[in-house]
Amino acid sequence: MLSIENLKAKIDDKEILKGLNLNIKPGEVHAIMGPNGSGKSTLSNILSGKKGYEINGNVTFEGENLLDLETEERAHKGIFLAFQYPLEIPGVNTNTFLKTSINAIKKARGEKELDAIEFLKLIKQKSIELKFDEKILSRQLNVGFSGGEKKKNEILQMSILNPKLSILDETDSGLDIDALRIVSEGVNSLRSKQNSFLIITHYQRLLDYIKPDFVHVLKNGQIIKSGDHELAKELEKVGYEDFN
Amino acid sequence: MQSEIKSNFEKSLSEGNFSSSQKDIKEKNFNKFIEQGFPNKRIEDWKFSDLNQIISTNFENLDFSKKDDQSSIDVDFIHEFEHNKIVFINGSVSKVDLSYENENKIILNQDYELDEDLSKNVLINLNTAFLNNCIKITVNKGYKFQKPLILYNYLTSDLDSHGLNMRLDINLEDDTSLDVINISNESSKSNFLNFRQKINIGKNSVLKNYSLDINPTSNIKYLYKDINLDQNSHLEYFILSKGSKFAKHDINCSLNNNHGSIALNGIIDLDNKKHHEIKTVINHNEENCKSYQLIKSVLSENSKGIYQGKIYVNSKAQKTDGYQLSRALLLNDDVEFNAKPELEIYADDVKCSHGSTSGNIDENSIFYLMSRGLSHDQSKKLLTNGFLNEAVEKITNMDVKSLIKKLTGIQE
Repeated sequence: MLSIENLKAKIDDKEILKGLNLNIKPGEVHAIMGPNGSGKSTLSNILSGKKGYEINGNVTFEGENLLDLETEERAHKGIFLAFQYPLEIPGVNTNTFLKTSINAIKKARGEKELDAIEFLKLIKQKSIELKFDEKILSRQLNVGFSGGEKKKNEILQMSILNPKLSILDETDSGLDIDALRIVSEGVNSLRSKQNSFLIITHYQRLLDYIKPDFVHVLKNGQIIKSGDHELAKELEKVGYEDFN
Repeated sequence: MQSEIKSNFEKSLSEGNFSSSQKDIKEKNFNKFIEQGFPNKRIEDWKFSDLNQIISTNFENLDFSKKDDQSSIDVDFIHEFEHNKIVFINGSVSKVDLSYENENKIILNQDYELDEDLSKNVLINLNTAFLNNCIKITVNKGYKFQKPLILYNYLTSDLDSHGLNMRLDINLEDDTSLDVINISNESSKSNFLNFRQKINIGKNSVLKNYSLDINPTSNIKYLYKDINLDQNSHLEYFILSKGSKFAKHDINCSLNNNHGSIALNGIIDLDNKKHHEIKTVINHNEENCKSYQLIKSVLSENSKGIYQGKIYVNSKAQKTDGYQLSRALLLNDDVEFNAKPELEIYADDVKCSHGSTSGNIDENSIFYLMSRGLSHDQSKKLLTNGFLNEAVEKITNMDVKSLIKKLTGIQE
């Protein structure tokens, strides 16, 4: 599904990714762990099309050159990034945004757009599943949301858009235990033979809730080791500093 | 242009039915206008908008002669919104419908009094010199309007290349209330519109005035408003400055007795080389008065926006609250926004502040929205609408608020 070969990325002449390789097949859950500044967020930004990086290497998504696509085209193809810091968008109603978003994607895929009633039904169902207070959706997008509400809102968006590849950029940071469990259940409910996940995190804890098929250690712009869930536990013991 | 204006003036004076004292006042005003001409950027109030230059670039000739022929036109009334209406066609009243109201409590007067004192504002001199009809709406003591009043201002192609001077006064006696919406619909081209309004708000009275310039026109407009507030009265004023090629709102409010309050909110939303200015002066003349101003601007395509806001606090006006904030979003590199906030305070127990920001649209926010499948244009539109919506949300008449959202497309 996703294939990354020798990916290098620079920003302001500073090399952040230094030849990264990664393959994700449909239905797989991959976790990337690494210290601060190792390039985790850069990887997720590049995959979802953020501008401002000088990029080398090959990235294909379902056989198509991903780096040629605009941000919104990647979303239409089924790539979703749950932001580490979801942005506050003053004056934009969350419901309006969600409806615009799902219909933009449906339109691009040649599917029938949702009318107001169908949309409300979908929102209601997803909110119940994720134990998300529907009232929050009539507020301005992420404005005045608590950290937990922002992250849950990301998972709600993910759940509505039902992407093929979901990238979770430190979704666990700033969550209390209850919120972490709800967010994880949301992710688990989306797991299927088709849907893949790339989970970026500092901590092993999230991986107790979302069991990954593969764990990779990202250090200094490269994946230095890959393994299964046990690798995460080992990392937790040793720490990034001494891990080689 | 000057000789044509002179002959226009002489003709209007001889054809109009004016008393000798009125003629005298008109002549004095006209002479002052001829002496000084249209204001240019050397005059402080006009430093960001050189009207003299704007007039000479846009008009070869400006005909100020009176146009009486009223073409019969279909007025496009607002539907599904219960309201009273007064229709002006080319500056004259063509229809009055106050059917939601007790008409015994409302006086419409077409006679007018000319100000004896010669104004320092040369455009008021021009207005006084050429004015041949004026309407004054008086709301009698204790009467509260049931439904909003929409003033439809229609200009037809008969008026092409004309200068038009209009005056509309509103007098709210004590304990009254009125919500007024100004909407213009202009199929004329190359007009200079000089619109003057004198408003009195009596004790315990409330005026809500929504001034909407939405439809694109090649017209040049100056709107001067002089608003006086008595004890415990409230003014809510909303400006949408968008459609005209050039527009300057010049709003002067005086809080002349204690416990008066003003909420003045505006939007400047420009593209295609338009040039708009909002200039406000709020005079706090007595104790315990409050004023709040919020101006939000979005500029693109070589346009220019200006906000000049002054808060004056008299030495008697203790316990004043006066706030103003201007925020502008600049969508292209070729746009210009100027803000000139001024506080002039002579009392010591006051709370006043001003703020002004201008900046580009946040690319991280665009990225966030695009990562959810929205195009760049859709994302930009959602963000600018959301930005402008903050000013629309200040509107307290919920029916009017949803009407304005419908008319402008600005919403959450």
